[in-house]
Amino acid sequence: MKPARREDWLVLAGRFGIVIVFALAWEVLGRMGKSDPELLPPLSKVLATLWQLLHDPDFMVDLRVTLVEIAAAFAIVAPLGLLIGFVVGENQRLYDVVNPTIQLMMATPKAIFLPIFIIAFGIGFTEKVVFSTMIGLFAVILAGIAAVHSVPQGLVTAARSFGVNRRQLYLQIYLPAMTPLIIGGLRLGLVFTIFGVLLSEMYAASNGVGHAFVAWGESYRMPELMAGVLLIVVITVALDEMMRLAEEHYGKWRKSAR
Amino acid sequence: MEEVGAMTALAVAETKPGRTVIEAIGVSKLFGSSSGPVQALADISFSVGSGEFVTVVGPSGCGKSTLLQILAGLVPASSGTIVLDGQTIDGPRPDKVGVVFQDAWLLPWKTAIENIEFPLALRGVPTAERRARSQALLDLVGLGDSARRYPHELSGGMKQRVAIARGLVQEPSVLLMDEPFAALDEQTRTRMGAELLQIWERSGRTILFITHGLAEAIYLADVVLVMAANPGRIVERIPVTLPRPRTIDMIGSEAFGRLRNHIWHLISDRGPL
Repeated sequence: MKPARREDWLVLAGRFGIVIVFALAWEVLGRMGKSDPELLPPLSKVLATLWQLLHDPDFMVDLRVTLVEIAAAFAIVAPLGLLIGFVVGENQRLYDVVNPTIQLMMATPKAIFLPIFIIAFGIGFTEKVVFSTMIGLFAVILAGIAAVHSVPQGLVTAARSFGVNRRQLYLQIYLPAMTPLIIGGLRLGLVFTIFGVLLSEMYAASNGVGHAFVAWGESYRMPELMAGVLLIVVITVALDEMMRLAEEHYGKWRKSAR
Repeated sequence: MEEVGAMTALAVAETKPGRTVIEAIGVSKLFGSSSGPVQALADISFSVGSGEFVTVVGPSGCGKSTLLQILAGLVPASSGTIVLDGQTIDGPRPDKVGVVFQDAWLLPWKTAIENIEFPLALRGVPTAERRARSQALLDLVGLGDSARRYPHELSGGMKQRVAIARGLVQEPSVLLMDEPFAALDEQTRTRMGAELLQIWERSGRTILFITHGLAEAIYLADVVLVMAANPGRIVERIPVTLPRPRTIDMIGSEAFGRLRNHIWHLISDRGPL
């Protein structure tokens, strides 16, 4: 591990370097008048706008609406996707029957179904939650199936030979063996769910961050739009990073494991 | 079914005295396949006395792993009976049988000592007791210093030692081993064989050891059961009278060579390995 230290620092410095160069270029180009301030306001202006937005009660309502929709959809996506994934993964015949459908749904650009959801549920909370649930669900189902299939049969046989009962088999063999893949799948499911909520808000909505984005875009309010984008990027990356750390923590044993 | 070898010169002594611990009576196994049922094992009968080291050798596909899984209660026999320590086997009996597989199958998220403790933890043995017993077994297999290491930090041979310790931790009267050293390089395999004999002598367990290596089968055994395929059956029961403790040098001896040739012909005259 020791010799890699120096290079680790270089990689880290490089990563931050990209962010700093990007931020500087953004700011300097704007100040020098090289970029159109109407189209790309300088970073400092965007950050100032972001600060105002965070103190703007109207925007905070939009943000809360969006976060609640994401939370509600993910609260369905995670357990339902895993449950379906486990059941299908455990039952080979069922897997043979439904796998093509799941693959088909995974491959389909599900955004095309949005108008149908609006007709079926009307514009609002239910429509957004159901639509983004569908967007996020299939990734989690596939991860659940993959997680079940990743448990080596030999490990199960060995565990039976030293006397596990059914409950112990599921809780003490299957669950820990599957945890890294489960978290990886939930991570993907969360990113897709967020995408689904924002898309449905941008397409047709009366509130939410996505709706605000469209309104700002239509009235050329670039500082607000850029500030909103920055905020959503930060929130999404933070959530994703948390799950990545969990995935790494529970999957430590996978390092060079066969 | 217990034919004694034609090589009477070698088959002098009957096995060690002691009560019977494993008794297989007319064990058969049929598997369904796309082209109809396949007879994996046909009418297998043998017995193993307490403290004996029995090896089962045979060509691949002769059903020796299936036999072990039936003995371990992991797979039901189609017909016939297994009596272990006076009790008929109809499912895993971890208190009577420890199993070591070709792959160690340690739980990769647990340390070496936690892996050995695991079967005891399942039964609710108190932490202090199971830790002490597991550490003693780690010492026995020569890994006393590696208790806190994870499987991915252990070599293939070390993993198998942990698996052996785990097989012994519930103090079973029988240890079943399914080609436990087959995935190891030859040097490690030879050394592990010698160490297994020491562990066997110190622990006083009965061992049934499956292998496809003729030298390994003879070197370790009191009795070699030779199997043939299609259907899987025992063709000869060969007592090994080489003195104990066995040494690596014995593998080059004349008596050893004659035994090996005899088994070689038993197997190869019936078809390719």
